[in-house]
Amino acid sequence: MTKPLVVFDKVQKHFGNFVAVKELDFEIREGEFLAIMGPSGCGKTTTLRMLAGLEAPSIGEIRLNGQVMNDVAPHERDTPLVWQSLALFPFLTARENVEFGLKMRGVDKAERKERAFKWLDKMGILEFENRHISTLSGGQKQRVALARSLVMEPQILLLDEPLSALDAHLVIRMQAVLTDLQRELGITFVYVTHSQSEAFAMADRVIIMGKGEIGQIGTPKEIYRAPANQFVAEFVGRNNILAGKVKSVDGGTARITTPSGEFTVPTNEVNLVEDHNASFVISADLVHIATEEPDGGNKAYCKLISEEFVGSMVTLFLEDAQGHEFKVQMQERELSKFDLHSGDEIWLSWDTQSAHVLNES
Amino acid sequence: MSSNPEQRPNLYALTWRLPIIFWQLIFFVGPVLFMVAMSFFLVKNYRMTEAFEFVNWSRMLTRGFFWDSYWYTIGIATLSTVCAMCIAFPAAFALAFRASESTRRWAIFLLIIPFFTSYLVRTFSWFVILSESGVVNAMLGYVGLGPYTMLNTNFGTLVGYMTLTLPLVVILQTVTMANIDKNLIEAARNLGCSPLRTIWQVIIPLSKTGLIIAAIFCFILSFGDFVAPFYLGGSQEPTLPILILDTTKSGQQWPRAAVVAIMMMVTLFAIAFTGIALAYRKGKGAK
Repeated sequence: MTKPLVVFDKVQKHFGNFVAVKELDFEIREGEFLAIMGPSGCGKTTTLRMLAGLEAPSIGEIRLNGQVMNDVAPHERDTPLVWQSLALFPFLTARENVEFGLKMRGVDKAERKERAFKWLDKMGILEFENRHISTLSGGQKQRVALARSLVMEPQILLLDEPLSALDAHLVIRMQAVLTDLQRELGITFVYVTHSQSEAFAMADRVIIMGKGEIGQIGTPKEIYRAPANQFVAEFVGRNNILAGKVKSVDGGTARITTPSGEFTVPTNEVNLVEDHNASFVISADLVHIATEEPDGGNKAYCKLISEEFVGSMVTLFLEDAQGHEFKVQMQERELSKFDLHSGDEIWLSWDTQSAHVLNES
Repeated sequence: MSSNPEQRPNLYALTWRLPIIFWQLIFFVGPVLFMVAMSFFLVKNYRMTEAFEFVNWSRMLTRGFFWDSYWYTIGIATLSTVCAMCIAFPAAFALAFRASESTRRWAIFLLIIPFFTSYLVRTFSWFVILSESGVVNAMLGYVGLGPYTMLNTNFGTLVGYMTLTLPLVVILQTVTMANIDKNLIEAARNLGCSPLRTIWQVIIPLSKTGLIIAAIFCFILSFGDFVAPFYLGGSQEPTLPILILDTTKSGQQWPRAAVVAIMMMVTLFAIAFTGIALAYRKGKGAK
């Protein structure tokens, strides 16, 4: 059982009348890679800044190793942050940037140099040690910024969308660098991003935030397959959301009537009541397509609107007779067996266990 | 359409550049060249006659009083620059980092207002404040101090220089520091730098260019100012501008005054050039 390193205890942050963070109540475990994800303005960066001491919580407590951090000045904390803009000092060389924090902590010159060398070497940028920041490429700057924070040998590293300025191919490489580093060092990473692919690719746990609140905390798989509520389901995307009324509940399953038809869903732990509203999601990759009507089960007859290729995966966008949108994700080689064109009509079906009932809030 | 912009001069652009080129030629390059020529002229019977003699140069540059005045002017202009930069910094710092955007805008507007009134008028108003029976001495008198002599001293000269330069220096420093990327200051704090230390470690290095340019302006204005040392400093130790005035008045020695003026221009040119080279110099490793 890993113990909590950081505890957010009913934390709120207000800027004048604007409530940036409504209420945060969660723990960050020691040694985990935690991603905080959400649309812009959801309070994710504010949360990170409160952890670094750059903003003070208006209400509530943040504890690090059991110590209340609310009144600890940022320069007295050991919570280095990797900035979205990287915030490297343009008047210093790569090595001087890496040494900066150590110099502030009063580490002597010889040790500073040795530790800076070690980290520049580890990040594969030792040859650029005497170069000025403006002469480095995006990927090299990224590595200097990481080295500058990691040279402090912190317990926790904060990252604020550090990959958002990089080219797509560099992002994939830096993701591997970050996950390897985190495994190797065993320190806690808190990674703020709006990119689902980054969060899901790297994190052990993901927090989905919206409008200053936590939508869901869970592993990437939990969030993808079993979104807790409509907000998370919509934010995660790549799924089909159906809303309707509960017709009957029978043990572990329930029948839900929607404008698109009547479907069977597993109730999971959600308390479904007859005649009450309910909605559920099915991940787009768990939906099958067929040209002939399937026997029984959950099915919908839809018209193909458009296709979207991302490498070998294809997302189909379809619409049923009521105009409800469906998405199906599948391998391109699977799809090619069907020879589909826009406007063609096909059957969609899914296993009952693929559906996931949402908690209405 | 085969016009090559490098070979064919753009007539339209050239036409619009002509006025400024003529202006510079007639009112700047011309007079400077004439002044250089004049420094070789001779004065006979209070009349200037054309000549090409080095006598003015050798007379002025071998005289102790010229060099006394020269080093005194450099010294007091340097002191004025140091004072203005130090007095302005806390104000500019507060405006750049503590004040809101609208407060800063108002402050800069208010700092421009002194330039609406004549510098000479503003200088004369100091008589009321600094004289033996002036406002400052009256107030000091209440607490049993003074009276202090402030007019006709170096202090008076400095007060005059500050009147001239401070608003400009505050504006330049404020604008420079307000443009600093705040993330860099937060990054320094995040890496263990206390608020006071960020001034030396981050803010001054980042605003180096603007600060040096503010200092250059302050030095140039003080070095060439005639009003403050003449009226508030009492011209007991003449600065170079006062020396020029004295030289022209005594025996119509315009050629010798030209020598002083050329020496001033050369000095300012050297200082401005060095300063700007320093301001834009990058540290080691830059390519």
